[in-house]
Amino acid sequence: MTDVTLYHWEPNANSGKPMLALFEKGVAFDSHYLDLLNFDQHKPDYLAVNPLGTIPAMTHGQYVLTESTAIMEYVDEAFDGPRLMPADPVDQWRTRWWMKFLDQWLAPSFSMIGWSVFVGPSVRQKDPVELEAAIDRIPMPERRVAWRKAINGAFSAEEMAESQRRVALGITYLEQALGQREWLAADSYGLADINGFNLAYAMPLSQPQLCNDSLTPNIMRWLRAIYARPATRACWALGRTDLARRISLLEGEPA
Amino acid sequence: MTTILYHGQPNGPSFTVLAAAFEKDVDLDLRAIDLVAGERHSTALPHPLEVDQSIEGEGPVLVVDGVAMTDSVFLACYLDEVGSGPALRPADPYARWQMMAWCRYVIERVAPAVACLGVASAPPAAVPAGIVSADLEGRWRDAVAGRADDAQLTDSRAKIGQAVEKIETQLADGRDWLMGNFSIADLESYAWLAGMRGIVPSAFAASPLTDAWEARLRARPAVARALGLATVAHPEAIWAPGPEINRWG
Repeated sequence: MTDVTLYHWEPNANSGKPMLALFEKGVAFDSHYLDLLNFDQHKPDYLAVNPLGTIPAMTHGQYVLTESTAIMEYVDEAFDGPRLMPADPVDQWRTRWWMKFLDQWLAPSFSMIGWSVFVGPSVRQKDPVELEAAIDRIPMPERRVAWRKAINGAFSAEEMAESQRRVALGITYLEQALGQREWLAADSYGLADINGFNLAYAMPLSQPQLCNDSLTPNIMRWLRAIYARPATRACWALGRTDLARRISLLEGEPA
Repeated sequence: MTTILYHGQPNGPSFTVLAAAFEKDVDLDLRAIDLVAGERHSTALPHPLEVDQSIEGEGPVLVVDGVAMTDSVFLACYLDEVGSGPALRPADPYARWQMMAWCRYVIERVAPAVACLGVASAPPAAVPAGIVSADLEGRWRDAVAGRADDAQLTDSRAKIGQAVEKIETQLADGRDWLMGNFSIADLESYAWLAGMRGIVPSAFAASPLTDAWEARLRARPAVARALGLATVAHPEAIWAPGPEINRWG
């Protein structure tokens, strides 16, 4: 029995952050998989849990929590298990700085590329009338705009170029930071790594010309070290699509 | 231990950090800089990645034993950890999640709207030299040229209205502070909204609870001390380019 339920999609991006944090803490939880491409997150059953229709969401007893990065901090504080926020106050600051940088600067650029090459084409085959009705059910206006753009392939060439510019720069920043210390924000594995891994695990596949053993050895070392953790294996085993299966590329040894 | 705070006028992110430091009795070497003149980009300050790529844009920089740190809410969390004054965050994990989620809303939705409206109302004179981040430099160029997208301005005004409504709702049960006890959420919300009374007055047309909350906040000695550092009559009217408006809309 557990009093924790996590509503999530694939172990990837925002959904994967609290999933992996729960596995690292050793917290048992009921996994409630929502198929993002089938708009499960905008259906009445889920809107009764999270009226905003964003994923992930977590319930713990009577509490309902949203915002993946804030949920991770909660998971670390509310449950026993290994500490995922470093003890040193400067390292705590650095952890939060990186999570914000990833959440607000790098992740939106990755997701613009990801949505245009994966999410948009995946849902575009559905009946247009049904699709429009599904979009109309999305509670947050910002998310309605995002879905329309993804489905219509309406990202401008300028927007896509800016996203690609940020992805390339972001990779150099990660490489630089991981050249300074073993983990992203501190000398111990923690929340910034969990956040970053969810964004970066497939980079060697999606951005092979920018992220590889010769150009970014520290990123590759870091990704492989996280992939080797039992919690990561257990977490990615909850994936159901090719998106999550991309993680297997980390099985290879350095070239 | 030497702790240096480079800060602008007590408005926006500089206000949050100054007031948090005073609430927590943290001893700081205060160094006022002109954020609107771009002094944060001068060689007088350290320029690690975390300064040059701060999501917050033109905010304060806290240097602790050579480590330069940015982003006001996280600086306030740091000061809360190291200072001796009463806690600025709830101890209970769920209450703390509520506070962090509230701050995230302010950081991500309110602050970009405020910065957009703020620089549109008082454009900076010139783009400073030495800006490392190309996207921040782009926001400076737009601000100096007075280039503002009408749709973004309209949406930003709407976001100020929504933020005041959210505060009214939160205070409706008669509480003094947003999270019950005084916290970083109060400082960060006031920091960004104080200057909006002059720019979006309609948002405050019927906000008695927010008005009383602001008055309570300004009456706190630490807040008064922070506001007392202003070198202009209206620090809440001073804006430099801030966080960008979400590219996804």
